Amino acid sequence: MTESYTLTVNEVAYSIVADAQRSLLSVIRGEVGLTGTKEGCDDSECGACMVLVDGRPVNSCSYLAVQAQGRAITTIEGLASGDALHVLQRNMLEEGGVQCGFCTPGMIMSAHALLDQNPDATEEDIRLGLAGNLCRCTGYAGIMKAVVRTAREGLSTDS
Amino acid sequence: MLSVDISKFLRADGPDKVTGSGRYSADISLTGMAHAKFLYAGVASARITTLDTAAAKAIPGVFAVLTQADVPDIRFGSVADRYLFAKDVVRFEGEVVAAVAAVDADTAQRAVDAIVFEYDALPVVNDIEAALEPDAPLVHEDWESYSARRIVMDRNIASQTILTLGDADAALADADLVIEGRYIADASHAAPIEPRGVVAQWEGDKVTIWTSSQVPFQARDGVCETLELPTNRVRIIVPHLGGGFGGKCGFHYEAHIAALARAARRPVRLVFSRREEFLAPDRRREGMIVELTTGLRSDGTIAARKARILLDYGAYSSDATFFPHMAAMHALGPYKIDNVYAESSAVYTNRQPSGSVRAPTAPQACWALETHTDELAAAVGMDPVAFRRLNGVDTGASGVSGQVFDAIGLQECITLATEDVGYGDVLPGDEAIGVAIGWWPSFPGASGAYVKLDSDGKGVIVTGAQECGTGAVMTLPYLVANELGMQPEDFELVYQDTSAAPYDVGATGSQTLLNNGIATIEASYQIASRLREIAASMLEAEADDIVLENGHAHVDGSPDTAIPIARLARRANHTGMLIGKGARIAPPDPKTSISAIGDQGVSSFAGPQFSCHAVRVKLDRDTGVARVLAVSAAHDSGTIVNPIGAAGQVEGGVLMGIGQALTERTEYDDKGRQVNPALLDYKLQTFADAPPISVQFVEVFTPDMGPHGAKAIAEAPNVATAAAISNALGKLVGLPMRELPMTSERVWRAIQAVGS
Ligand code: FES
Ligand code: FES
Repeated sequence: MTESYTLTVNEVAYSIVADAQRSLLSVIRGEVGLTGTKEGCDDSECGACMVLVDGRPVNSCSYLAVQAQGRAITTIEGLASGDALHVLQRNMLEEGGVQCGFCTPGMIMSAHALLDQNPDATEEDIRLGLAGNLCRCTGYAGIMKAVVRTAREGLSTDS
Repeated sequence: MLSVDISKFLRADGPDKVTGSGRYSADISLTGMAHAKFLYAGVASARITTLDTAAAKAIPGVFAVLTQADVPDIRFGSVADRYLFAKDVVRFEGEVVAAVAAVDADTAQRAVDAIVFEYDALPVVNDIEAALEPDAPLVHEDWESYSARRIVMDRNIASQTILTLGDADAALADADLVIEGRYIADASHAAPIEPRGVVAQWEGDKVTIWTSSQVPFQARDGVCETLELPTNRVRIIVPHLGGGFGGKCGFHYEAHIAALARAARRPVRLVFSRREEFLAPDRRREGMIVELTTGLRSDGTIAARKARILLDYGAYSSDATFFPHMAAMHALGPYKIDNVYAESSAVYTNRQPSGSVRAPTAPQACWALETHTDELAAAVGMDPVAFRRLNGVDTGASGVSGQVFDAIGLQECITLATEDVGYGDVLPGDEAIGVAIGWWPSFPGASGAYVKLDSDGKGVIVTGAQECGTGAVMTLPYLVANELGMQPEDFELVYQDTSAAPYDVGATGSQTLLNNGIATIEASYQIASRLREIAASMLEAEADDIVLENGHAHVDGSPDTAIPIARLARRANHTGMLIGKGARIAPPDPKTSISAIGDQGVSSFAGPQFSCHAVRVKLDRDTGVARVLAVSAAHDSGTIVNPIGAAGQVEGGVLMGIGQALTERTEYDDKGRQVNPALLDYKLQTFADAPPISVQFVEVFTPDMGPHGAKAIAEAPNVATAAAISNALGKLVGLPMRELPMTSERVWRAIQAVGS
């Protein structure tokens, strides 16, 4: 059944007309037109589709878009302000946390939520906190360095 | 080394990737675009009795439905054993039977479901040993008609290599000790996180195809061959590629989607689900049975080795015809042995075809050999590391194919990795250290690039090379800047476009930086010499005395009178432009003295890379669950051009190896169908599983190979990890591991077997 509703993504309101069964991921990538959020499995297994809903990380492939009405959705495109990279983005880049980049948006959103909740996250916290985000390229080593460095510098530092 | 600072390597595609602005194939959307879905066989072996698409075509919103009857009747593949769509028979469950383009994905799926597809089941060849029985059903009844140039085929044997050096039988008869072992590895997957996408759009008689390919030129050639088009009417563009690991090598679906788009008269997009990514492509790491017989002298040296290897080839030939030869080289190993014999066969089965996945055949064969090697050391009462030192190759030594090695660093790798991991330290009773060595060739080959400098002194590198995430293409601006005394940011990259750039083999065989780096440097030499000529005329000096440095040209010894390169570039427009071209020409292969029947060209390892991986493993003996606590990986990949990039390859390769060792396994039911085509059931290593990985390089300058004395790097780290874990588990359990992956269930069963 088709529903009409409003989604607020990265502080912009979008009028959506879509089937009620559609996932938040497919509406963000389709109707909203933001393709930074990736689909790796459509099954809650890879974390590539991670976005923040009211600051909480969710696998958007397994979350109905209609449920996100009235909530603030943040995607990877909403992280940087203007041309400057977000500190987490810059650190991922500088510490070798990015190879193919397909896991990167989801990884960054999860890491953002983790450090937001736990600014003093230890390596063990990071390993457990990001265990839902699969990366096939890096062995997680560069990502670990980037997140540890961001924890040290603080999530809201200017990059 | 480089005069530009690459120690803080910032990849040029990085900002695009971290901000989400980067486009991957599935992100491309064109006006009027239709959506594709495939009908798959769903059964491993059957004769088609009905294939009727009328009802599917009649559904509103369906633009095209294609089967083999709608495309040229052309057989392709390395022995030409397959068609684009199933013809008469299906030979594995993921074979494409028909393709639909429709207004949206749901409609396309409804049309797929409406196709009448009926068949008579045929016997399923599901076991590589049973497939060799004289009365076994044939996967390809017509195998004798295939075009198997240089490839030995026989019934279900799709490709066979027999290697002979010295007299292995005589040396075994003379040996003081003969040890035998049989090792079985299951199939596994490349599993890049991006499921592939393909988009095709026709403009007149020309088609542009955006695709998740590691090998755009090979994809183009596949389209041209199967749709009978000249190369200049097919343009392949690869947007950002979300990983490949070999899984996106070869030619996959680009022709299906191009044909659909032509029939639908509009652009068409295919995006794979994770399940399709597991089931359909002709890429899977093959299952393998390795039987080894090694003869030892009482002093611990190896007198002879025989190997018998069977590989599960799957239903069709992709690029796997060289696998038997490559597997044999890895089963014989980087050891000094004068008498070897290997008989290695890839066997057709009714399963997904096997194809190159990162260091094809090496992790499984290395796992078998290195497990066996710890058994050999135990048999002669030697420490396994000392045994490898004694028998492993070194500079000037002759290996299993009679290749005599120039300067190599295997012995130093053994030293570094074992020292770093703390080999010999006293450990808790539930921990052990395992060590393994591995090798892998570099693949020098054809590759081209252009470099130009525009009138503002900014440059563009136009390269045929393909970036699959490793950072190899992203390293090229550093190489060019280094030659021209400029900065990497001065250069933009145009890449992954077959109509823009000269040929390159693609992101396969770890060859990108190795070959395209040489081509790109050669192109920049031409620009450097033009810049020197122009500067020389302005400074009234000899061109040979001009130094390019810090974005300026000056006469050697007079840095104060320097002309900005941008000024030279402006001038160049009037005096002949700044355009350089480079093409890699491969050096001849190193000599060998081995004889090969079914020679697939890999007896000789050009630019051979060596590694030693040492792992500390903890085992819960109640459950069989093993945990890797630490890995030390030492590699000789020649000079390391890009330290961050190279370390990333080792870290990623090692973690993939841990997955192969412990969890990654494709299971089949008795009908030849995959049981676990989902990430929930096919377990990749997570962040929580990942141990610290310590990476060390033994930098042996290697002439005539890659840029600045480099060898290749990306696949070599994926060779020895599973083997090292096997040896740690062997110590903890008290029995050598015989099956890969070494799942907790299998390890637990081994513990019980020792206990009883
Ligand atoms: S796409 Fe949502 S978890 Fe994989
Ligand atoms: S960078 Fe490729 S999957 Fe993480």
